[in-house]
Amino acid sequence: MSHDKLSSMQIRRRTLLASMAAAGASAGLSTLGVSRAFAQEPEKPAEIIVRAWGGSWVDALKAGVSDSFTKATGIAVRHDLTEDNEIQPKVWAAVAQKRVPPIHVNWDTTTNATKSALRGVTEDLSDLPNLKDTTELAKPVGLDGYPIVNTYGYVYVLAYRPSAFPNGAPKSWKDLLDPKLKGRIALYNDGIGFHFPAQVAGGGKLEDIPGNMQPAWDFISKIKEQQPLLGEDPDFTTWFQKGEIDAACTISTNAREAKKNGIELAWVVPEEGAKFDTDGLWIPKGLPENELYWAKQYINHALTREAQQVWLDGLGLPGVVPGLTPPADLVDDPSYPVTEEAFEHLIRISSKVQVENESQWFAKFKEIMQG
Amino acid sequence: MTGSRSKSVVLWTFVTAALLMLSAPTVVVLGASFTAGNIITFPPDGLSLKWYGAIAQASDLRQAFVRSLIVATICTVVAIPVGTLAGIALAKYRVRFARSIQIYLLLPFTIPLIGSGIGLMLVFGNAGVLGKLWPVGIACCVINLPFMIWAVTASASNLSPDLELAAANCGAPPLQRFLYITLPAVLPGVITGSLLMFILALNEFLVSLLLVDARSVTLPVQIYNSIRSIITPDLAAISVVFIACAAFVIALLDRLVGLDIFLKSK
Amino acid sequence: MRTPRAAYPVTWRVMDMLERLAAAVWPSSFQRGLPYLMLLPAIVLVGLLVLGLVQIGDTSLRVLDTSTFLMSEDYTLANYQRVLTENFFATVAGRSLMGSLIVTAITLLFAFPYAYLMVRTPSSALRKFLLVALFLPFFIGQVVRAYGWLIILGNQGMVNEALGLVGVPPMRLLYNYPAVLFGLVQYMLPFAVLMLAPALTAIPNELEAAAASLGAGWVRTFRYVVLPLSRPGLVGAGLVVVTLSLTDFAIPAILGGGTQDFIANAIYDQFFRTSDQGLGATLSLMLVAVGSILVGVVFMLFGAGTLAMGETRK
Repeated sequence: MSHDKLSSMQIRRRTLLASMAAAGASAGLSTLGVSRAFAQEPEKPAEIIVRAWGGSWVDALKAGVSDSFTKATGIAVRHDLTEDNEIQPKVWAAVAQKRVPPIHVNWDTTTNATKSALRGVTEDLSDLPNLKDTTELAKPVGLDGYPIVNTYGYVYVLAYRPSAFPNGAPKSWKDLLDPKLKGRIALYNDGIGFHFPAQVAGGGKLEDIPGNMQPAWDFISKIKEQQPLLGEDPDFTTWFQKGEIDAACTISTNAREAKKNGIELAWVVPEEGAKFDTDGLWIPKGLPENELYWAKQYINHALTREAQQVWLDGLGLPGVVPGLTPPADLVDDPSYPVTEEAFEHLIRISSKVQVENESQWFAKFKEIMQG
Repeated sequence: MTGSRSKSVVLWTFVTAALLMLSAPTVVVLGASFTAGNIITFPPDGLSLKWYGAIAQASDLRQAFVRSLIVATICTVVAIPVGTLAGIALAKYRVRFARSIQIYLLLPFTIPLIGSGIGLMLVFGNAGVLGKLWPVGIACCVINLPFMIWAVTASASNLSPDLELAAANCGAPPLQRFLYITLPAVLPGVITGSLLMFILALNEFLVSLLLVDARSVTLPVQIYNSIRSIITPDLAAISVVFIACAAFVIALLDRLVGLDIFLKSK
Repeated sequence: MRTPRAAYPVTWRVMDMLERLAAAVWPSSFQRGLPYLMLLPAIVLVGLLVLGLVQIGDTSLRVLDTSTFLMSEDYTLANYQRVLTENFFATVAGRSLMGSLIVTAITLLFAFPYAYLMVRTPSSALRKFLLVALFLPFFIGQVVRAYGWLIILGNQGMVNEALGLVGVPPMRLLYNYPAVLFGLVQYMLPFAVLMLAPALTAIPNELEAAAASLGAGWVRTFRYVVLPLSRPGLVGAGLVVVTLSLTDFAIPAILGGGTQDFIANAIYDQFFRTSDQGLGATLSLMLVAVGSILVGVVFMLFGAGTLAMGETRK
């Protein structure tokens, strides 16, 4: 494998993609449709494999991105529903053992994706033509180039059962300390989404993250006295459904999905703020050249306005291209921030800081909760 | 006769409690699969077969089920000779370092499944065989192998050295002694063990999760992965279909070899 | 006309051929090696896990660098030091060990009568029913089964509703330590019964009848005849239950409400959540060590189950 050969291929692909983008933009067609015109287009694989979360998440991706990709290219899309955490060691091992990775595209949390990027198992995506139309949210913070592309943002809201709050919606995360909520609240089992608002609720400053997070740990210790249940997304829905809990810190999409399924539920961003984070797409190293090309096309397609609109309507989340219309039920909803003002209430910590300290935060959270 | 009555009372108290413990969630899930509503409840919210209709549409589930059957078959086919020979060797012969060997053979149980999964993923990955089904079958066999070995050794007290000596006296050569005396004696253990191996492999997910990819995913992994936000009654319906298939196989096995006689004491 | 060979059935001839083959491949002078040859396939299969353990052992000696998410090049014992000094790991390890011992005791207590009835009942239908009831729970995935328990034991579950009828306020029955132990017992019960059944089958019914005819009540018969003779099965079942519950991951995760982690859950977190494979590997190896020591102790205290019996007979 000569180095020159690789880099020349890269250049050819880049110019190709750029010209495709120009053609696509001028003709008002999807770039994919136009790409067929090029004779040197690499051989199409029969299918590509995209890792996705199950349930309504994969349904939304399929409707918004995968189906239209298949329609435009004729390449089938198979969804691998392995959890993001669980695919990670599989992909890492494949790259380390120089095998072809089990997936073409990984739909991942930005934090997890950043770990993979730091480890060097991701392909560079800077040459995707549609990146030029994206907002700055698409660019991962603290990394060179685009080892990942963020595709939307989401908020860890305080979801609650209205009937358990007869005096109105909770205003503060401190409302979770109400004695009548003892044993009736739930958090993610590594505390994700809760560390930062806890820092504020505990009287600390966000600027002190990661240096001094004692206020967060103090607040979490108080929460521990409330005997919270710890779980994952399906647990929260189940617990709300079966009357086990009245409030939880969870991703708004799951709360919305539960509500759609007839569970009485509402959500707020409390006064201390709520964690805002992003998910993204990336491609693992080690794919054959032609499959890599089509995997990139998939991500490029996911950044078109049409694809984003349908995909994110399904998820109820704000995307990374301008001009998307929010779903009717989420206009002015704090879990769907679009304005500067809305973002002011949200807490955003760079993924670099998160990635470097996350294992300590998780360990500390566990230590408090398992004690 | 009060003695035997009190014995029955004690026996049945424990057995009833055990049956309740074993079956309660199963019964609830079975019942819930016939619900007309959108959530798993018991008693079900109206009666309908709509969730069965939903899973009948899903060809990926069917394919995953077939893969699970293949995996379970490979696992059992490998486990029967391997486990039977090892079990007989441990039970019948005086083996040096027997305790160390037994501790070694119990490694599949003392290694947490996640460790086994990661380890096997690396080993099979190095060998370049990931993505095929047979490594998954072998993996399921390895992690459950102690069941097979212990089921065989547990029934090996049926082995009577005298019987073998008698056969030898009558001029039966070693292989015949093995086939006609030793093997039948441990057959109950072999049957119990292989049934267990098959069913466990059919339902294994934690190790398989690390060994399959999207093209070779097995049913339990598929089900586990598809749960993200809402647990819907189709999962209950799948369980019911699964049970029905298993019941059919067990009934068939019963017809062919008569499960009953292997457990009945003489 | 007829040759004497014609009277010799085909199967016999096949057997003779096989015998000669076997004798050629394995002359009787090798007799002492036979048990080892029989053990070989199992040892090779389990060897796959040992190969994996070697890799895990290598990882356990490296620490994670969170700026590159690679494991360090140099070997260090830092992970072991962390595991041995941090309180969290002691809490989790203590919980798992204690849990597995309690679960083993309770499981055997329930499994024994179950296996006994299954083996001794004159009714073939009852025997099959008991057998099938053992296998059913396997087919309901863990997650769905946990949902089933929630319907039964949840705050608004059937048990709490029934208690509500007699005026008892709803109480939390799930998501605590007893719930995890209960779940483990339920999960382990089939294994224990299936391990016990063959051993009980081997105890002749006549022996019990004889004891009874000599005037022993069933309790004494049980205590002095059945129990000692079923020791191999009990040891086997006990070993299976103690090791499996010590290393279980799913039940503490699902029925513990997130606050009742066992060691395997801590291992899962390291491998999958914080990507610290070194620490995960260290925890795995230490768990293997603890489990193996536990098995060794059981062998020392109770003999090696069936094996001991085989030896005394010989």
